[in-house]
Amino acid sequence: MAKIIVRPTPLHVLLDIGELWRYRYLFLVLVWRTLKVRTQQTVVGVAWTVLQPLLLTALFTVIFSLLAGMPSDGQPYPLFVLGGLLMWQFVAFSFQTASGSVVAETHLITRIYFPRILLLLAAVGAALFDLVCVLGLLVCFMIWYGVAPSVGVLAFIPAVLLAAATSFGLSLWLAALYVPYRDVGHLLPFMTQVWMFLSPVIYPLSLLPPKYEAVYALNPAVVAVQTSRWAFTGGPPPSALMAWISTGVALFLVVSGLWFFRRREGTFADKV
Amino acid sequence: MLGNLLVSPFRRSAPETASTPVAGAIWAIRDVSFEVPAGQVMGVIGRNGSGKSTLLKLLARITSPTEGQAVLSGRVGALLEVGTGFHPDLSGRQNILLNGTMLGMTPRDIQRCEAEIIDFAEIGEFIDTPVKHYSSGMFMRLAFSVAAHLDAEIMLVDEVLAVGDAAFQDKCKLKIRDIAQSGRTILFTSHDMEAVSRICTTAIVLDHGRVVYRGAVDGAVSQYRTLMQAPRTPAPE
Repeated sequence: MAKIIVRPTPLHVLLDIGELWRYRYLFLVLVWRTLKVRTQQTVVGVAWTVLQPLLLTALFTVIFSLLAGMPSDGQPYPLFVLGGLLMWQFVAFSFQTASGSVVAETHLITRIYFPRILLLLAAVGAALFDLVCVLGLLVCFMIWYGVAPSVGVLAFIPAVLLAAATSFGLSLWLAALYVPYRDVGHLLPFMTQVWMFLSPVIYPLSLLPPKYEAVYALNPAVVAVQTSRWAFTGGPPPSALMAWISTGVALFLVVSGLWFFRRREGTFADKV
Repeated sequence: MLGNLLVSPFRRSAPETASTPVAGAIWAIRDVSFEVPAGQVMGVIGRNGSGKSTLLKLLARITSPTEGQAVLSGRVGALLEVGTGFHPDLSGRQNILLNGTMLGMTPRDIQRCEAEIIDFAEIGEFIDTPVKHYSSGMFMRLAFSVAAHLDAEIMLVDEVLAVGDAAFQDKCKLKIRDIAQSGRTILFTSHDMEAVSRICTTAIVLDHGRVVYRGAVDGAVSQYRTLMQAPRTPAPE
């Protein structure tokens, strides 16, 4: 029979899987709520999920390919950039939403108990739904350009996990810092923008000198995006070294993020 | 035993990070320690600012203690506020799912009680309209109704829950009394001494964050009345 122990937060266990399992329905309901509310009273509805990457693809193609002549590893630029955006949109959306989730739900935090991590996990869950929608759009592009998926498709799900872990880990830090320090809210869009330029979304990885690949791998989004291109748009795979480094970074972010978040969790209701 | 509640020396300082408290910090509650055996209905009474809400929030895990710990054996239902998580764009029915899940009900529990919840709240045909179109009365009634159908071995109840017009308030108070008599372990807080005497068997009285009385409810009520007559003094350190 359930035994609940109320204790000071520094004594909390890092990840209470049992508790998260008990609250699994709340996780699903929170994801459902995020998705449902987004489409209320809109005319376009769910289509917004694919409209945004579509418009960005068009914009980037015009500016970076037609006007600036950006190389794209032999792939048609629209396909190339959408292949990158598929993964990037997932990272950016889950990161921004999860980081802001605690402060956004102040009214919940101060009145009811549930594992706060669920808010961040639900953000990642909603982003996953979007990912699947954009994948549908990408498949249309692939058909249009007559490009078949490569064997890299097998690495796509691990790459999504890598991206999810990175986003989640980073947002654990930021969500916990956002509560007492509202500056974080102003920083988030800026950080996301910088992160995008640090990842090979608009430009190919081959544009950068390969001898520093270990450094690039410190940003797991690089490996995630590259794997997405390898799987769907005909790009080269990331090296095994990069994959390992990125996995290490992602794991570090998750573990350290959990540690920090759990320590601060108990004070959210007071400071938010 | 089901529904036991054991609170060891319990302190809570506010505001502070959950590490070492700063010198000169104000303790919302201090050295609060008590035990509630299964099935007992205990009142928590005291003046405003005595630490009642903090105590219940701590037990509901909304905020965490600086020191000490509490052990609750059984599922905990916190009826401290109603309508938590209600989203204005979702319908009443959808919000029942959302709010109910947040309170800890499973989708099956909710499905089973849904008709009862709607019936108690007297919402009728409007259950499928977005709640932003509800009157404040309808909103409160629905919110209370969901919370009142929560089934847990330990319940933390704040009487402020009784909402709506006079007729519905009576309904709420009756429901609270039903919950109190259902054999669950209840911690009940209220400023209405009549309600406390009627519903509770024992009570604790808090004053400036400390327990000043623990025992039968009648003694507690008279202790409370004595305290109410004394002038307000600032919190001792």
